[in-house]
Amino acid sequence: MNHLAAITLLALSALPACAENTVRVLTTDGAGKPVADAVAYLVSLDSPAPVHPPDRPVEIIQRDQEFSPYVTPIVVGTRVVFPNRDTVQHHVYSVSPAKKFEIPLYIGDSSGTILFDREGVVTLGCNIHDWMVAYVFVLGTPYFAKTGADGTANITGLPPGRYRLEVWHPRLAAKVGRELDVSMNGEATQVISVVLRPDRRIRRAPDSAGPDYK
Amino acid sequence: MGPTAFRLPQFRRFGSRLLFLIAGLVAISQVADYVLVKKANLRNAMERIDENLNQGAALFERRVNARLDELSGRAALMSDDYSIRQLFLKDQPDPATVRSALASYSVRMGVPFMTLLSPEGSRIGDTGGVLPGAALKPFQGLVKVASAADDARAKGFARLPANDPGGKLYALLVVPIFAPKPEIVAWIGLALPIDHQFAIDLKADAQLEVTFYCGSPGSMLPVESTLPEADARSMAPASVGDAIRDVGAAGQSYATKYSPLALITPGSAAIALQRSLEAELAPSRLLEQFLLLLLLASLGVAALVVPVFAQSLSKPLRALAAHTEVIARGDYDKRLDLDRADEIGQLAASFNRMSEGLAERDRVRDLLDKNVSPEVAAQLLSNGGTLGGEEREVTVLFVDLRSFTRQSESMAPREVLELLNRFFDRMSGIVEIYHGIVDKYIGDAVMALFGAPVAYANHADSAILAALEMRSALARLNAELATEGRAKLAFGIGINTSKIIAGNIGSSRRLNYSVVGDGVNVAARLQDLTRMSQYSADILVSAATLEAARGRYIVRSLGAAPVRGRDEPVDVFAVDGAE
Repeated sequence: MNHLAAITLLALSALPACAENTVRVLTTDGAGKPVADAVAYLVSLDSPAPVHPPDRPVEIIQRDQEFSPYVTPIVVGTRVVFPNRDTVQHHVYSVSPAKKFEIPLYIGDSSGTILFDREGVVTLGCNIHDWMVAYVFVLGTPYFAKTGADGTANITGLPPGRYRLEVWHPRLAAKVGRELDVSMNGEATQVISVVLRPDRRIRRAPDSAGPDYK
Repeated sequence: MGPTAFRLPQFRRFGSRLLFLIAGLVAISQVADYVLVKKANLRNAMERIDENLNQGAALFERRVNARLDELSGRAALMSDDYSIRQLFLKDQPDPATVRSALASYSVRMGVPFMTLLSPEGSRIGDTGGVLPGAALKPFQGLVKVASAADDARAKGFARLPANDPGGKLYALLVVPIFAPKPEIVAWIGLALPIDHQFAIDLKADAQLEVTFYCGSPGSMLPVESTLPEADARSMAPASVGDAIRDVGAAGQSYATKYSPLALITPGSAAIALQRSLEAELAPSRLLEQFLLLLLLASLGVAALVVPVFAQSLSKPLRALAAHTEVIARGDYDKRLDLDRADEIGQLAASFNRMSEGLAERDRVRDLLDKNVSPEVAAQLLSNGGTLGGEEREVTVLFVDLRSFTRQSESMAPREVLELLNRFFDRMSGIVEIYHGIVDKYIGDAVMALFGAPVAYANHADSAILAALEMRSALARLNAELATEGRAKLAFGIGINTSKIIAGNIGSSRRLNYSVVGDGVNVAARLQDLTRMSQYSADILVSAATLEAARGRYIVRSLGAAPVRGRDEPVDVFAVDGAE
């Protein structure tokens, strides 16, 4: 099917040695279209880089009976809150090995935060609305970025060194990665091919709310 | 075979012939009907069976797929069930809980076996019971197929346990558990038994015998069948193909279609759909029996009706034949009364008219015979009684009673007539004996003709001999009269031969055969002359008669006598006898 060959274009920015470097990642599929919601991340091959969870919890809100954002990359130890901005109740759950939890039916702010303490992909669902799906990508590295609609992601604050670059996407068919050196030297562009599975998300029920439905 | 080798039977009776003909035609048409219908029925039955078998094979596929689709739908509902997800919220699902939950779901779905597999295909739990771990491998194979499938589902036929003589057929189905879609957190495996009930249900819908075979090519054995075990075993396919074959078992003839079932387990399997030829032909048999009955009934009706009909023809024909005999015997008074309007009735009417005609002719002839001489009557009948005439030589004889007028004055009229008729009877009889005819009775005289209407050569001799016989007859009559004490009779006879006109004389309404001419007057005149004393003879003939006669007679010449209306006198001779 449309297993799309995606190409990740790496643009390495060379900055002064003491300065932190930025890796620019452009993700496109086989047809040359940019791929959004892909997470590009670098794992240091020299020495493990410590991660620092943010002080404030990350928000994954529910609005118009959809999770937003669709993909949320976080580091291990990050707390996430799931505020419900809809007028209907949601029942958020995950049965993913990286984090199994549920927040039984609620509306408004959830009573607490959820701590994501293991690396891996956590798939979020709602027991009430089958089509609601979102992903929390829990990383053990601080160097990551999510591609936008233009398919680009900028990974910043990189000390020079050897890294393994990987790209993850909810529909990633096979792991894609390569090793690279981040140095002071100018910019470099690399291409990585990835294959995406067909999009099997559920189509929303016709009368469930779209953006115009209040 | 010669041309005469085949011959229709000969019948003495018309009814038998008609019965043979009609019964034969009925039998031929009905038997031909029966044979053709029987052949057509068999051909139709074979066509219907082929069609049914193909439909049955399609029905089997549809039923299995429909059942699997239904189970798939139910499984999808189940996979979205909150309580299922609860199982996966735990780090390790509790095996006993999984087993009891699956047992509960298997009851809801109506399948005997369910299993829960990890996304990679390892067993999380199952309902246990009827299916041992043998099901795991086939399900794992299906998980691989489903993982690559667009709809994340897979199905296939399996024999479980595989290669086990007790192994049964199942349709296996694998559907995913999403949490949420498209994230597959587990697979549900379902086993739909292709069991006896399935075969029975399929039979009810397809009206076909259903047998499932498992084994390896060359040694297929029935695992389920709607047929008796022995039948199913004896009809096991040698090889698995699509061919429709006729297979006989236990005296029944079955048309069988074998369709292979692709197994995901080792070995081969096939579904055999069978239709009994007898069962297919059963409705046609009714028709055939009806046709046979119709044939017998037709023959029966023909046997009953035809003799009656034949009788209605042959009876009047026999009556007509008998009547013909009656007519042939001359009985024209009997009439045929058939009371029919058809040709036979018309024939009977014609017969009756013929009888009437014949009777009429007979009456006419009878009257003629009494009123004219038989010769004249015959002549009249033969020439249709037309007016006509011819000139020919005849001899005319007049015989007249003498003094009878005076004699009769002392007698009663009836006595007169009686005596006269007695005399005439004798005289007329003699005329006829000598082939003459009585032309007419004139008072107490008789006029007779010889040589007319039937011409013959010796008419003059006949007349003379008749006159001589009359003399003897008169003597005998007088002897009788003498014994009766009555007076004698005397007569005078005049005979003349001449050419005269003979024919039917009269008007178109009434005709008399007679003669006219001078010769008649001469004969009458000669008869008159017998009264005269100078002749003193009772029989006078003219010279012309003697000339015409060939016989020799004793005559006396009496000289010439004048005749009224004639210039020439006539030579007169008295006849005394014959030599």
